[in-house]
Amino acid sequence: MNEAALLQNYLVVGGLLFGIGLLGFMVRRNMIVMFLCAEMMLQGVSVSAIAFGRYHNDWGGQMLVIFIIAVAAAEAGIALALILMLYHKSGTLDMAFWQDMREEGQPAFVDQGVPEERAEDRVWPTLTPAGVEPAVDQEEQQHRSNV
Amino acid sequence: MDDSLSKLLILIPAFPLAAAIIIAITGPKLLKQWSHVPVIVALVASFICSLGLLNEVRRRSASVDREHSGLVHAGFEHVVNLWTWADIHEAYELPGVSYGNSEISILDQGTRDFRIDITLRADALTAIMLSMVTFISTLVAIFGAGYMHGDRGYWRFFAYIGLFVFSMTMLVSVSNFILLFVFWEAVGVCSYLLIGFWYEKPEAAAAGKKAFLVNRVGDFGFALALFLIWTTYGTLNYHDTRADGETDPVLVAQAMETQLAGDAPGDNDSLVVRGVVGRWRVAANDYATGGVALAICLLLLLGACGKSAQFPLHVWLPDAMEGPTPVSALIHAATMVTAGVYMVTRCTPLFMASPEAQLTVACVGAFTALLAGLIAMTQYDLKRVLAYSTVSQLGYMFLALGTGTVVGISAGMFHLFTHAFFKALLFLGAGSVMHAMGNVIDMRRFGGLRKLMPTTHATFMIGCLALAGFPLLSGFFSKDSIVAAVHDRVHTIEHELDHRDSHEMHGATVDSGHAQHEAAEEGKAGSPLASWDHDQLHRFAVVYQWLYYSAMFTAFLTAFYTFRAFYMTFYGKEVIPHEAGHHAHESPPMMAWPLMVLAVCAALAGFSLDRTIIEGPNSFGTFLLQTPSLADGAAAATFEPFKFHKNVAGTSGAIAIVAILLATYMYLGHQREIEWIRRLMDFEQFGKWFDVESVSRWKEVAWVKQLHTAAQSVRLGWLTAGIGNVILLLALIAATPFMLGHFVSPYKLSLGKFFIDEIYQLLIVLPLRGFAVVCYAIDRWIVDGFVNLVGRIPLLAGGLMRSLQMGLVQFYALAMVLGVLVLLVARAVLAAG
Amino acid sequence: MTALLLAQTVLAISSPMTWGIGVGTAGLALRLAPQVAWQKLGLLLALIGIALIGVALPPLGEALPQVLFWLMATLAVLASGAAVTSRSPVYAAIWFAVSLLGTAGLFLLQGAQFLGIATIVVYAGAIVVTFLFVLMLAQPEGHSPYDRISWAGFAIPMAAIGVALVIGMLVGSLPDFAPVGPPSEVLHEEHVARLGGQLFARHLVSVEVVGTILLVALVGAIAIVIQGNPRRKPLVQESEAGR
Repeated sequence: MNEAALLQNYLVVGGLLFGIGLLGFMVRRNMIVMFLCAEMMLQGVSVSAIAFGRYHNDWGGQMLVIFIIAVAAAEAGIALALILMLYHKSGTLDMAFWQDMREEGQPAFVDQGVPEERAEDRVWPTLTPAGVEPAVDQEEQQHRSNV
Repeated sequence: MDDSLSKLLILIPAFPLAAAIIIAITGPKLLKQWSHVPVIVALVASFICSLGLLNEVRRRSASVDREHSGLVHAGFEHVVNLWTWADIHEAYELPGVSYGNSEISILDQGTRDFRIDITLRADALTAIMLSMVTFISTLVAIFGAGYMHGDRGYWRFFAYIGLFVFSMTMLVSVSNFILLFVFWEAVGVCSYLLIGFWYEKPEAAAAGKKAFLVNRVGDFGFALALFLIWTTYGTLNYHDTRADGETDPVLVAQAMETQLAGDAPGDNDSLVVRGVVGRWRVAANDYATGGVALAICLLLLLGACGKSAQFPLHVWLPDAMEGPTPVSALIHAATMVTAGVYMVTRCTPLFMASPEAQLTVACVGAFTALLAGLIAMTQYDLKRVLAYSTVSQLGYMFLALGTGTVVGISAGMFHLFTHAFFKALLFLGAGSVMHAMGNVIDMRRFGGLRKLMPTTHATFMIGCLALAGFPLLSGFFSKDSIVAAVHDRVHTIEHELDHRDSHEMHGATVDSGHAQHEAAEEGKAGSPLASWDHDQLHRFAVVYQWLYYSAMFTAFLTAFYTFRAFYMTFYGKEVIPHEAGHHAHESPPMMAWPLMVLAVCAALAGFSLDRTIIEGPNSFGTFLLQTPSLADGAAAATFEPFKFHKNVAGTSGAIAIVAILLATYMYLGHQREIEWIRRLMDFEQFGKWFDVESVSRWKEVAWVKQLHTAAQSVRLGWLTAGIGNVILLLALIAATPFMLGHFVSPYKLSLGKFFIDEIYQLLIVLPLRGFAVVCYAIDRWIVDGFVNLVGRIPLLAGGLMRSLQMGLVQFYALAMVLGVLVLLVARAVLAAG
Repeated sequence: MTALLLAQTVLAISSPMTWGIGVGTAGLALRLAPQVAWQKLGLLLALIGIALIGVALPPLGEALPQVLFWLMATLAVLASGAAVTSRSPVYAAIWFAVSLLGTAGLFLLQGAQFLGIATIVVYAGAIVVTFLFVLMLAQPEGHSPYDRISWAGFAIPMAAIGVALVIGMLVGSLPDFAPVGPPSEVLHEEHVARLGGQLFARHLVSVEVVGTILLVALVGAIAIVIQGNPRRKPLVQESEAGR
């Protein structure tokens, strides 16, 4: 196998992942999605690190990725706890809600117009129903309502 | 240091300082109404020490070895070196100007250390001043204890008094110009504090400020004079020292002889630094002449004018009367204001080197005396009359110092001495009156107090007689000796002129004149007159002659205004202002007692110290001439035996008596004549002749009308009408000078103190205030604006950066990305390079 | 120097890689636009961009790895693009998990067996599930207006330039590296054993540190959550108040 070509291919893929994550971090407003994008950037770095490790025949790349995963887990724990707290305080996951922390006298960012909500956006991911729906016992229903 | 003189010298200022410190610490809480006790005790102790010092100096100067060594053969001084304040090595290279005795001037070449030793000195001048200061201040403190009783700042008053006496005793006993300047300022500060003692009163605060600021002008000149003395003589000490500060006269004399013999000194430390009025320099009369001397003397005179309230800096003294009356008596009449006289006396050899400066001193003195006398004629404020009389008498002293003869200087100091007694007496008497009259001082509001206050009346009368120069009282002797000194001066100069003329007539080509011959014959250092040319002698003779007349006229004024004030206060109808209430009474014994002591002194001080009138000795003058400054050199060359001038004394005594009688005639009784003179001097008599309005009313007068009608009847109406119009026109033309004359009539000039305050206000205060406004504007708008601009730059930059702080996390991330981009581009460029 | 820089710039601009990144970025930007048609165009552009990038990549030399790489890489990049652009955060999380599968495949392709599995287990299995859990807690309705708004204006070109530069520099500086030889160590038969040996021998301190970090994160997360919730009143009092 052409090791140099392999490294090059992996670096491009890592760079793309990193770039996409960065882009997502900057353009999305949902805190959870932003955090997710940050994880994606870590993935890009991980891919590059693994590729370099192989290219140099060294364990360092993989070690680095192990620690990245560990730190990402810790980060996820803290960050999600924080996000939950922020949500409790504000009732929204919108990052722009916290723009109060801007410098005094700066004009606030105001949404210019929210696009129409489409039907498919409103749908939760669902699983295809499987098996047979059991028959509902009317008597039991009545009985339960008396409990 | 273990010498009795040294101990006394240190103790005299130490007592008042200790008292001041004790009162300042314990006064407000502990001593309160007993605050006067430490000061009185300390002042009495100081006075006793001063007497001891005086006695010791007398004893020693009588027994001083007149052929002590080489050059120095007269005068007595004792110098105590306490410690060295500052010592800067090789501070200045003396250029060694060639003046006077060139052989000795070599001594003034070379590098000099700038060295300030804290040194005290005892000599005749200091001893006299110390005794006078401590004596007057003791009495004033006792009087003040009664006068200030119940005042809120009782302890403060006595702390200031103690501080003042400390400063004043130091001023007269230091032996260094720098220290003189320091204590010169210290007494100024005490004066400021005491003038503004009742600082709640705006007038008192303003008067304190005025005194302080006007004195700054004089001090400015004084400081410049000190710089000039330092660059000319390379030292600021009065006395001779070695370069290492050794003051022992024997050691100095040894070093001096080594140096004069031409041997190089073993080391730099044993170089002799001849003091400015040190005995070696005075004896050799080795002083700069010409422009430098004139500059030094005039600047010193400016300083003296500030402190001693001479024209043009006299304006502060009358206002200083806002302070408590004992302060006026002590500081602004008897002691501090004489500091200028003391300083000029101390610097006599410097003034001797510049006859022009002496003449200036005399002119300033005589003019101030005349001006203040004229102003005092019309004032209604009792203390102000006394203040102007102080200014006037100080003018007399300067006149005496300006004669430039030993007799004159002795007369000036003698007048200072006697004046201290009777002026303190008069001020304390005025204080006693004020005390009784509920602090009213306007003479129009009280009168006829002689029954009410017999002690004050009697003592005040003695003071007035002494001030007026009534024969056989102290003022008579001292003032007479001043006038006689001026007369003598004229006489000496004319004598010299005659002598030269006779020499020329006899074909002698000697132009150095008589004086030099005489001096050479008598082995003196040479009379200063010898170096003057004919024209100069002539001019000086004329000027001194006029000064003599002026002094005589001022003597008349003095007697007149003194008794005017005396009669207005104590005679006539008994008037008591309502402020006095029912408390109008004779002062308590604590206040009456010092008055009596002072009255005795004022009466007897003259005769007991100057008995030339009965062919006795002039013990004051003889003693004073033991001062090194006066004992040798040019000053001593002008010495003539003290004698009593019968005709001069008779004239001035007669003038005084005539003036007193005139005042008696005018102010006892209905005062019609004085009112008439007042109107005359105010041009009121001439008013109607120049007033356009009254002239235009002439045509209403009956006979003018008749004349006009008659003229009309013979068709000459145009003539009379024309004459009338011409007269009206003339009146109109005359109106302008008349209006001016109305405002500057002699009476108004005198009452308005010759408008000197107003002129200063216009010429100095207003321009300075305008300048201050400009400076304020520059500071406020330009300097502050620039500073604020500098201060705003970070603010503006911060404002720019602020707009980046949008509070959106995404934006921060973008900023990071941009930063990383910059790094990447840099990396790419570097890699490519 | 300037000439060299210019030449490199021209070379970079003429490369299909650059074009691919540009087209793909434009596609992503269009995917974020509100209009449906533009979104479809964006998908098309993104695919074209990936294809262009693929053209620019050098071949690996062997058929099977090449095919697998193509598969995994396309999966990872496409899924991550979908994760970033999907409106619903739930779908974004799921797409992220898919992207993680691709990444795990790439890891396996490199011979990093342990990491491939660990990524699936830890990331896809734990972290993404936690994400979804938090989403359930925080946003049960699943859709919100702010998810439909994006700030594409300035950020996307910047990110694109950044990515282009990074990739350009990494790839451009490749000739400077020299392979150490065949990757005998990381492709050793006892891969996991060797990895474990390395981890617990050479990197033992780091492991301890990471363990501490995890513990601290655990405690921290609990502390943060507790701090936010006011302590409930005791049950007894509550019941008394109810009476």
